[in-house]
Amino acid sequence: MLEVKSLRKVYEDTSRTVEAIRDVSFSVGQGQLVCIVGPSGAGKTTLLKCIAGLLAPSSGDIILEGQRVVEPPPAMAVVFQEYGRSLFPWMSVHDNVALPLKHKKIDTARREALVRNALSAVDLKGVEAAYPWQLSGGMQQRVAIARAVAYEPHVLLMDEPFAAVDAQTRADLEDLIRVLWHRLRVTVLFVTHDIDESVYLGQRVLVMSHAPTVIMEDVEIDLPDERTQLETRSMNRFGELRKHIYSKIQLAKQGWRPPSE
Amino acid sequence: MPAATAKVRAKTSARTIVWLQGLAGLAGFAALLEVVPRSGLISPLYLPPFSTIMAALFKETTTAEFWTALSDTLEAWALGLAISVVAGVVIGIGIGSSHVLRALTHSTIEFLRPIPSVALIPLAVLLFGSQIQSTLVLVVYASFWQVLIQVLYGVQDVDPVARETARSYGLGAWAQIRYVTWPTTLPYLMTGIRLAAAVALILAITSEVAIDTQGLGKEISDTESGGAVPIMYAYVIVAGIIGVIVNVGARALERRVLAWHPSVRLDTAETGA
Amino acid sequence: MKALLPPRPRRIAVAFGLPAALIAGWWITSADSQSFYFPPLQTILHTFGKLWFSSKALPNIVPSLWRFSVGYLAAAFLGIAIGVPVGASRNLRNVLEPVLEFLRAIPPPVLVPVLILFTGIGNEMKALVIVFGCIWPVLLNTVAGVRSLDEVLAETVRSYRIGRLSRLQHFVLPGASPQIFTGLRQALPIGIILMVVSEMFAASDGIGFSLVQYQRTFAIPEMWSGIILLGIIGIVLSLIFRAIEARLLGWYHGLRQSQRAG
Repeated sequence: MLEVKSLRKVYEDTSRTVEAIRDVSFSVGQGQLVCIVGPSGAGKTTLLKCIAGLLAPSSGDIILEGQRVVEPPPAMAVVFQEYGRSLFPWMSVHDNVALPLKHKKIDTARREALVRNALSAVDLKGVEAAYPWQLSGGMQQRVAIARAVAYEPHVLLMDEPFAAVDAQTRADLEDLIRVLWHRLRVTVLFVTHDIDESVYLGQRVLVMSHAPTVIMEDVEIDLPDERTQLETRSMNRFGELRKHIYSKIQLAKQGWRPPSE
Repeated sequence: MPAATAKVRAKTSARTIVWLQGLAGLAGFAALLEVVPRSGLISPLYLPPFSTIMAALFKETTTAEFWTALSDTLEAWALGLAISVVAGVVIGIGIGSSHVLRALTHSTIEFLRPIPSVALIPLAVLLFGSQIQSTLVLVVYASFWQVLIQVLYGVQDVDPVARETARSYGLGAWAQIRYVTWPTTLPYLMTGIRLAAAVALILAITSEVAIDTQGLGKEISDTESGGAVPIMYAYVIVAGIIGVIVNVGARALERRVLAWHPSVRLDTAETGA
Repeated sequence: MKALLPPRPRRIAVAFGLPAALIAGWWITSADSQSFYFPPLQTILHTFGKLWFSSKALPNIVPSLWRFSVGYLAAAFLGIAIGVPVGASRNLRNVLEPVLEFLRAIPPPVLVPVLILFTGIGNEMKALVIVFGCIWPVLLNTVAGVRSLDEVLAETVRSYRIGRLSRLQHFVLPGASPQIFTGLRQALPIGIILMVVSEMFAASDGIGFSLVQYQRTFAIPEMWSGIILLGIIGIVLSLIFRAIEARLLGWYHGLRQSQRAG
């Protein structure tokens, strides 16, 4: 479904050169939920933007469904961390969700149905006429997710979407993501700095090193498919996986990197 | 230190590019002004080529009349601006420091502000004819509001905690103004001065055009009715250059003062009329 | 004093207090004025009613407002149309900035003689002067508004592949609109000033023209009434503007309020 081949990204400024990503390669199968975790400054957002086609890599390729990604592909939708700034404040919730659909050449009836279904899928009722800034942070992020869902993407990219909400809301949203993922059978790439979240959500966790970034490890999460906040997080296996990833990240912070091939 | 010099070189080359682009724009504009009249698209009688205008300009600068007109305009501008600033600061701090006064005067200020200063032209003419006082009436009336509004914003922005602290230390009204109100108001005042300086220049020249008081504006209207078209454009260009100098100078001054007050918003800095 | 009145009447009293006192003061001090240049307020108001509410008034008010509207709207359209691409492209901005800086520093009334050369003393001259004066605040503020568009929103728009025209309609223009309105608001008094000045300089009708006529024929109360009329027009136009702005920027005011509260 999605392949990242030897991705490299170098930022060149008038005053300095920064190698954000040195060499990242991995592939994601159809319908997988993969988390990307790493210390801050690990180029996670850069990686996601390259995959989303928003940033051109310095070298390497992104292949989505057999096609190279050179600009944002129609089969992808992105949910950003700053939900407040990614929703149009001059449009109602309904219009926010409907806008990307206006270019997909579908008739009005179907578009309305998509909007309605997406909003109910994220558990938002009765807010269609409200403006985003009238809603709480958690609800705003749900609108952003609904917008992505209504777009019917094959791949959903999420860039630390719950970093800016409170813990309780975050727990609810995490569960929402898993529910949506199961229902829609969409492929999800989820970037986070929260190790617990990555283990709770993912089938795989890609652990990133410090910049210049490479993949430290591709950890398989062999937790059961049915997960709940209370039970899953108190399982032993959860603790082991968490510890493992945590220690890898500590190594990453100290500058350790995997031996190059 | 190769890395450091590379850094410096990179920064200067970026700056240089911007300068060159700007220069290219100006050169393009001048070229346009040269080519269009010569090609006959617009008659050279109405719009002389750039070179002709420049020649007329250089010749004018050798006449005493030019420098008199220039100094007349600048004198009216400076005087009017000074009066507005003093009045604006005094009245602004006076009104702003009192809740009651501010509330009472709010509607009056909102009523008087939109009145175009040029509405006073007939009155000024009747009272003072074509003397500098007419110009001063217009300039002061228009510039005063710019200063006043900004000073009022500034006084309003004073940190209430700071004011309470000052009062609890027994500082009198004058000391409070000096140590609490004034530093907060200063950046706003600079914005007000910048806006007022631009408005003052415009109104000074406007009154010269409309009332015939001595100055650049009068030269422009005289040369137009006298048919000395290249000289007229020369004066227009001079007016523009003076305006640019005033605007850029006021912005630089404002930035200098604002640099000492990092806490003040900069969002008005770009877009004052 | 504040405790004496309930809130609504108190607000009205405060708002109209000083103006009422000033007007009363003006009335009283000028009541038996023998001064030629400062007649009694009563006379002025009487003349005002007689002059501007008569059928004679319309041939003067209408052309003025017409020129103003045409010039102002043309300036608004051009200012936005030029401002959007300039705001969006750094290179374009760098090239044009010195030229625009120079052009905007030319006091618009200076162009009255210049434009008379081209278009005589007709309506075109006045409308053009108004355009040339009003375009700058609109243009500069449009540029600033476009430059300050939210980057996250810009990336969102790109990620959903929203097309050029739609981007303009749904992102660029609404996003820049608060700043654009600031420019439009700044252009309003400029337009009024230029309307008056251009009519004072060369016209055969209009408010500015009338003012100059009264002044030349020493019709003093009429002149004063003209000044008051201009003031009223300025206030009315700015009230109309504020109403339109409140309507179109309702979302913005709501947004700012929620930001301040949160």
